[in-house]
Amino acid sequence: MSKDKKSRRTEYWRSLDHLHDSPSFQAFQERMHYHRHTLTSNAMSRRNFMTLMGASMALAGLAGCRRPVDKIVPYVSQPEEITPGVAAHYATSMPRGNSALGLIVNCREGRPTKIEGNPDHPASLGATDMFAQAEILNLYDPDRSRHVLNEGAKSKYEDFVSFWREQLERYQDGRGAGLAVLAEESSSPTLARYRREFTRALPDARWVTYEPISDENILAATEQVTDNRLELRYDYGKADIVVALDNDFLMHESGSVLAARQFAERRRVSGTDDDMNRLYVVESGLTVTGSNADHRMRLPSSEIGPFAVALAQELRKQGLELNGLPTIDAQRFDQTWLRELAKDILANREKSIIAAGRRQPAWVHGLLLIINEAMGNWRKTVTFSGLIGRTISDTSALRDLTAAMNQGQIDTLVILGGNPVYNAPADLKFADAVKKVTTRIHFGAYVDESADGATWHIPRAHFLESWGDAISADITHSVVQPMIEPLFGAHADCEMLALLATGRDQRGYDIVRETWEALFKNDFEAKWRRVLHDGLQAGSADKVILKMTRGNLREVMKNVDLTPQKLSASGLEVNFVQSNVADGRYANNGWLQELPDPITKLAWDNAAILSPKTANDLNIVSGDLIQIQFDGRSLEIAAWITPGFADNTITLPLGYGRRLNGRVADGVGFDTYALRSTGTMHFGIGATVTKTGRTYVTANTQDHNTMAGRPIVREATLEQYRKHPRFAEEAVEHPPLENMYPPHDYSQGYQWGMVIDLNACIGCGACTVACQSENNIPIVGKEQVEKGREMHWLRIDRYFGGDENDPAVYHQPVPCQHCENAPCETVCPVAATVHDREGLNNMTYNRCIGTRYCSNNCPYKVRRFNFFNYTSDMPELSRMAQNPDVTVRSRGVMEKCTFCLQRINAGKARARLEGRTVADHEIQTACQQVCPTKAIEFGNINEAESRVSRLKQRDRNYNLLAEFNVRPRNSYLAGLRNPNPALQAKPRHTKKKVHTG
Amino acid sequence: MGQIFPKWTNKLPTYIAVATVVAVTAVVGFFWYYGSPRYTDVGYQPTQPVPFSHKLHAGDLGMDCRYCHNSVELSAHANVPPTQTCMNCHKLILPESDKLLPVRESWGKKQPIQWVRVHRLPDFAYFNHSAHLNAGVGCFDCHGNIRQMEIVSQAQPLSMGWCLECHRNPDPHLRPREELTNMEWVPPPDHARFAERIRREKNINPPEDCSGCHR
Repeated sequence: MSKDKKSRRTEYWRSLDHLHDSPSFQAFQERMHYHRHTLTSNAMSRRNFMTLMGASMALAGLAGCRRPVDKIVPYVSQPEEITPGVAAHYATSMPRGNSALGLIVNCREGRPTKIEGNPDHPASLGATDMFAQAEILNLYDPDRSRHVLNEGAKSKYEDFVSFWREQLERYQDGRGAGLAVLAEESSSPTLARYRREFTRALPDARWVTYEPISDENILAATEQVTDNRLELRYDYGKADIVVALDNDFLMHESGSVLAARQFAERRRVSGTDDDMNRLYVVESGLTVTGSNADHRMRLPSSEIGPFAVALAQELRKQGLELNGLPTIDAQRFDQTWLRELAKDILANREKSIIAAGRRQPAWVHGLLLIINEAMGNWRKTVTFSGLIGRTISDTSALRDLTAAMNQGQIDTLVILGGNPVYNAPADLKFADAVKKVTTRIHFGAYVDESADGATWHIPRAHFLESWGDAISADITHSVVQPMIEPLFGAHADCEMLALLATGRDQRGYDIVRETWEALFKNDFEAKWRRVLHDGLQAGSADKVILKMTRGNLREVMKNVDLTPQKLSASGLEVNFVQSNVADGRYANNGWLQELPDPITKLAWDNAAILSPKTANDLNIVSGDLIQIQFDGRSLEIAAWITPGFADNTITLPLGYGRRLNGRVADGVGFDTYALRSTGTMHFGIGATVTKTGRTYVTANTQDHNTMAGRPIVREATLEQYRKHPRFAEEAVEHPPLENMYPPHDYSQGYQWGMVIDLNACIGCGACTVACQSENNIPIVGKEQVEKGREMHWLRIDRYFGGDENDPAVYHQPVPCQHCENAPCETVCPVAATVHDREGLNNMTYNRCIGTRYCSNNCPYKVRRFNFFNYTSDMPELSRMAQNPDVTVRSRGVMEKCTFCLQRINAGKARARLEGRTVADHEIQTACQQVCPTKAIEFGNINEAESRVSRLKQRDRNYNLLAEFNVRPRNSYLAGLRNPNPALQAKPRHTKKKVHTG
Repeated sequence: MGQIFPKWTNKLPTYIAVATVVAVTAVVGFFWYYGSPRYTDVGYQPTQPVPFSHKLHAGDLGMDCRYCHNSVELSAHANVPPTQTCMNCHKLILPESDKLLPVRESWGKKQPIQWVRVHRLPDFAYFNHSAHLNAGVGCFDCHGNIRQMEIVSQAQPLSMGWCLECHRNPDPHLRPREELTNMEWVPPPDHARFAERIRREKNINPPEDCSGCHR
């Protein structure tokens, strides 16, 4: 290998194997680029093959003679609003913990098939995330519970109703003593109404709210500082400086969809005069937010609090008024970093955000609230919203409840949603405690861990089947309306709670309507119709403006231990974080299981994530099975090494290792809740690790589809960009690009093109799931992913750059580039992939014979081959989620991104019907529509004033592998980072030019 | 030494060659003709669950196609009418007819009538009725003279080659909007001029790309 090639390869790398060019990396590349796949692991014998082929030949001859009889089944009486073949769109909201996401759902003949964000909803502005996208698959999950169960045997809802009425009468005599309800967080005004009714009727009954991941700590802090339990809200669109301490606000904090949109608005650099915000991140594990940081510091989670104190001390030293701050020996933190960070913050009073994540204890939030107040950020970038009936998890109440259960004080426990047996802190031994309860009633979508052994199990309806309501983080009152009748006769949350509180079996619609009737004083019918149409009550957004009442640092910081914790290889810090399946509630969702983690790129698993140095100290390599001893409990889990994680920490994603969820979830990954206790909900110190000597096979996509060390992702600092605005385009020098063939004429009509702004993209992966939902992309499973056969049409490449332990991270979404001179087309022996006159590279499935030459010749590695008929064994119910406008592909066929051809054709047909041309921005691809940061723009490049044309005119625009003269229709806007000039920035930008040709 | 083969064998290679050519031509010709949709599909006339007569309704009574197939100008699908559409009239007209028994049964039991599909395109072809009507292609061009059909049968092969014939030269198939459902319409002598004008006005430029119909 030449020296030049070597150095180029190490500039940006996908994995440590890639960086060190290890034999396993080389072997995978060899296999991937030359497609030396074996079809199956258990090869079929020649004799079996002959038998099967002979039989199928004989049968094929017979079956071919007869024309299949197709049936047309029309309606008996057709609903007025349905036109067969035309999608109907309805507004609804997705309740999410104590807030909500506004949605528009695409329904085909009464069957929801695609979820989009509601652009009119102020709490999401039309964006959604991967969880909202994946809800369609959850709705049609064949593993959802289908029957009311009594002692495990099928029963009827009516039987439960009469059972409960008896119970209710009995409990009302005793004021509810001995009855407990364990609920999830909720924001619904209707649920709040019935909760009040429940408490009024049964004052001595317990009502406990528990979520494994919640804003509990943040609310405790607002209460301490302002005397009110309030939800904290940040306006990232107004902040020039964002300091995120263990705060993954772009991905896993509450309100992340809106936060990502606001944050990205400040990074949309349109020219060299433009400014952008600056993000400082201090965190232990590498998160999506951390990967987008301009400056990032690795610190164990237990040191984040002390770091905040040191920062406060530095701010005070530089002139910020902060009273009652305890002193701390700040020497253990980088002094220049602290000094320059404080200087930068102070230069941006009223325009900065210093925020910690929900994993940090209350005192850290209290301290930062006081700093933000002193900085003048309150009312500007930091606001509050009232709870108004929204409930918040209370772990100590759960502890009390468990104790009461153990003492036999509870004879009836109602589990209202949630899965506490799986996700309650391990030290509570909740699973044992529930066995001491005489009657356990479980209300949930699955017969899961918490339903196992319950007296009653009542199926819970999906939110797309339910009436309900919700309040989003900005207090916008939103309505939840059903798109479809409950598939399995399940009941909505409000119906169940109304029954619990009153003993009346009411319809969800009536219940919700009643709540809203109280909300509107007059002219109800008209206003209610408006709400149902919009999905929300316009203008109901609200915020609380208040002054600090009694919060002082002395009070906030009392009993806080700031002595440095000694971390070492024999006393590691463990961190519990959210994963692609959230806290485990999406574990049975194949789309989310198959979506590689944005950072580790692990699919179908979680693993104990370690930094390279820690792994080296412990003599562990990726894939080793290790035994973690922590707090008297132990867990066997696979290890995975990823750069950028703090040394001497182990990061354990939650939500895997499900026992009773469904065919997708069960047995996938490791149950990390086993190590989590009430004292260490988010992190804890003192773990030790031993190797078991065994290894574990993971499906990791980080080395899949590499582009052989060419300069793919291009970025610079803001300063470099201002000096060399066209740095991205100029990164590669090549001879003049000439073609052997006469060029096609693309000057007429629509010419579709796309631009992806790498400066806006945060790498969250919502686009990949949206694409999967829109385009009927199959789920292939762990074994196939491990072989490099994932089918995602749009993948997100994650590159590391720089230091092996503390790298910079770049994300790059790569769909089909729709080359005008497409290399795939010239090698197809059957012309199955050809160009159309609108510049799209078409893939014609019924012509494809599966030579895979096209994939071999594709420099971007975006073509996907159906090694099996992945859809054939898909349950009938899951097929309901499929888009009827997109062909379902069979075995032996190549496929790839089409730029959402079905949407283009529908848009053109609509425009033609109305006698006009397609307007700019009228046709949106699925990835574009979902993107929380609006990083993707699509449109007609033949129209000079279209958004996509204007973006392509920007100086940061570059074509991927332009030197091949393939003329891609998709281009990228190079990424920018905005490091503090006073802090020594690591060299990031490719100085050396790459010569080709 | 005597000759092994008799003299007539000299002509054998010629016979074999001719026979091969004839056989190959016959086989190819057989499949060419009998295997094409023009033979296999045209004339397909399945028995429907209801002996509905298009000739009576659309022909003799002169009902417009769009009374029943009302989404044809709005949607990709020209819908088959719901039972309700039948019952609109047949509550009063022939309410006791035996032939209408399946319709009344469907209405009473709220069970849809299962019609047999006559015009069948493969799943990977996405035909759009509204786009074609909007451009000025009438029902007749694909479905034949439905008004004369007692039982509907397939009039055209609906093969890809047949689609492309029209996409390459749409002019003869374009007609004024008000004549779309007229089965007896005859193009006036100056049709070429009309077609040219309407193509320009509506920017009719039918796609010949794969993406036009396949996605």
